[in-house]
Amino acid sequence: MSPSPATADSVVPLEFDHVSFGYNGQIVIRDVSLQVRQGTFVAMVGANGSGKSTLVRLALGLLRPSQGRVRLFDTDTAAFRQWWRVGYVPQRAAADSTLPISVDEVVRTGLAGQLHPGRRATRHHRQRIEHVLEVMGLTGLRRRRIDELSGGQQQRALIARALVTEPSLLILDEPTTGVDADARAVLRDSLEHLVAVENVAVVYVSHDPQTFAGLATCVVELRAGTLHILGPPAHVAGSA
Amino acid sequence: MEALEFGFMQRALLASTIIAAVAPLVGSFIVQRRQALIGEGMGHVAFAGVGLAFLTGLDPLLGALALTLLAAVALVRLSRGSAGGDVSLALVFYGGLAAGYLFSARGGGGQNQILSLLFGSPLNLTWGQVATVAALATAVALALAFLYRQLVALAFDEAAARASGVPTTGLVMALTVLVALVVVAGMSTIGLLLISAMMVIPVATAAHIATSYRATLWLSSAIGAVSAAAGTLVSYHANVPTGSAIVLTALALYIGAAVTHAAARYLARRRHVRPGRPVDLVPDD
Repeated sequence: MSPSPATADSVVPLEFDHVSFGYNGQIVIRDVSLQVRQGTFVAMVGANGSGKSTLVRLALGLLRPSQGRVRLFDTDTAAFRQWWRVGYVPQRAAADSTLPISVDEVVRTGLAGQLHPGRRATRHHRQRIEHVLEVMGLTGLRRRRIDELSGGQQQRALIARALVTEPSLLILDEPTTGVDADARAVLRDSLEHLVAVENVAVVYVSHDPQTFAGLATCVVELRAGTLHILGPPAHVAGSA
Repeated sequence: MEALEFGFMQRALLASTIIAAVAPLVGSFIVQRRQALIGEGMGHVAFAGVGLAFLTGLDPLLGALALTLLAAVALVRLSRGSAGGDVSLALVFYGGLAAGYLFSARGGGGQNQILSLLFGSPLNLTWGQVATVAALATAVALALAFLYRQLVALAFDEAAARASGVPTTGLVMALTVLVALVVVAGMSTIGLLLISAMMVIPVATAAHIATSYRATLWLSSAIGAVSAAAGTLVSYHANVPTGSAIVLTALALYIGAAVTHAAARYLARRRHVRPGRPVDLVPDD
């Protein structure tokens, strides 16, 4: 399955090639094949327990498939090293922090995989931090503790963290859970810009089709670990 | 100050202040990872190492160092394998406690000697031991400075850190080894059972005041150092055990910070909520 037409020389940011995966002998993902190309927005829906989070973890190399291959930028995840090309936005619950941590510090943790230990951020990195803070509307909040912000502001900080390395692939796992309407609008605008202007490939996992209606290039649904292409988002929103 | 005229007090103050300043730096990461009791467990393992040293005639510090480093590796492997995090902690730590007492009993370690290692006896330190404490503390501080960015990413969100290419398993191993080094460095000053308190209490105190992770680290380190210096002086004047005095001083500072913080929040709420004025329950963006 390919959400967008392939070109002969294009690198595919994310590809599932006949992937199956199971826990303790129970199959969770069954023979999933999917290509996510540059500049496309793939929305993934499915009921709780359908395997969405497992598919995300496979894409991030946190799990290895039992069968088939997961490739990032044409490289098997086991051999992939350029993790800065992949941005990951977890649910807002990931912003829960025992100790005080400022928005600025949260965004800077996004550079941890790209910068070797002991290395200082370069001027380019600092400019990038300023840029993502500005794009996400967080410049005035950068010194604030993240746990003092609203749900939407916290989510924007997590998105800024994912964008700080200028990823070509952005994976968002239920990014609007517990987020207010204003913040959803900001998120929509940001994603639209990333796909249309910066040619980023987006994988957006959500149980709520309204959150990506009008944005998605393709909508896929996981049912008991099997992938089905549902078509344009309007169709999904109508059938929800 | 009269107490500072004595060499044993100078050594006690120096060693306890150094280790109490470094312990919260490591503690900041274990508290954020909700592993506040890992230092306590490492103390149990170090006790086994000291017991083993009594049995074999080794230097207690070397015995404790060898066994805690071994436990650090085992702990990470166990927690990432079939045993869960809690179970692997229990396996390693209760094993350490039981083995420590067994080895000490068989090795002929006197009760006073065992008690001084468990609860600290900084007044008996030599300058050589102070230098060892300083060297271990310096090594820990340098390692933290080197790995700082990666450790913050790991502590804040391990899954995201791993997904962004941070070698989290190796980093968790490094952090556990640093906990082991702090425990070993602190055993002669604050004690194997009490040093973990200095990895946690100053951090909890600083968290009431600081607004960033970096500020929490610096502030907790300062609180640790002040607690150690004040506690050591109190122990001299009141003739009470030094390790206990240091930890109770840190606890008093925590209570002070917690009460002040709660009072400040209460007053701030009262200023915002006046009769007849609507209240925003959900803050706007």
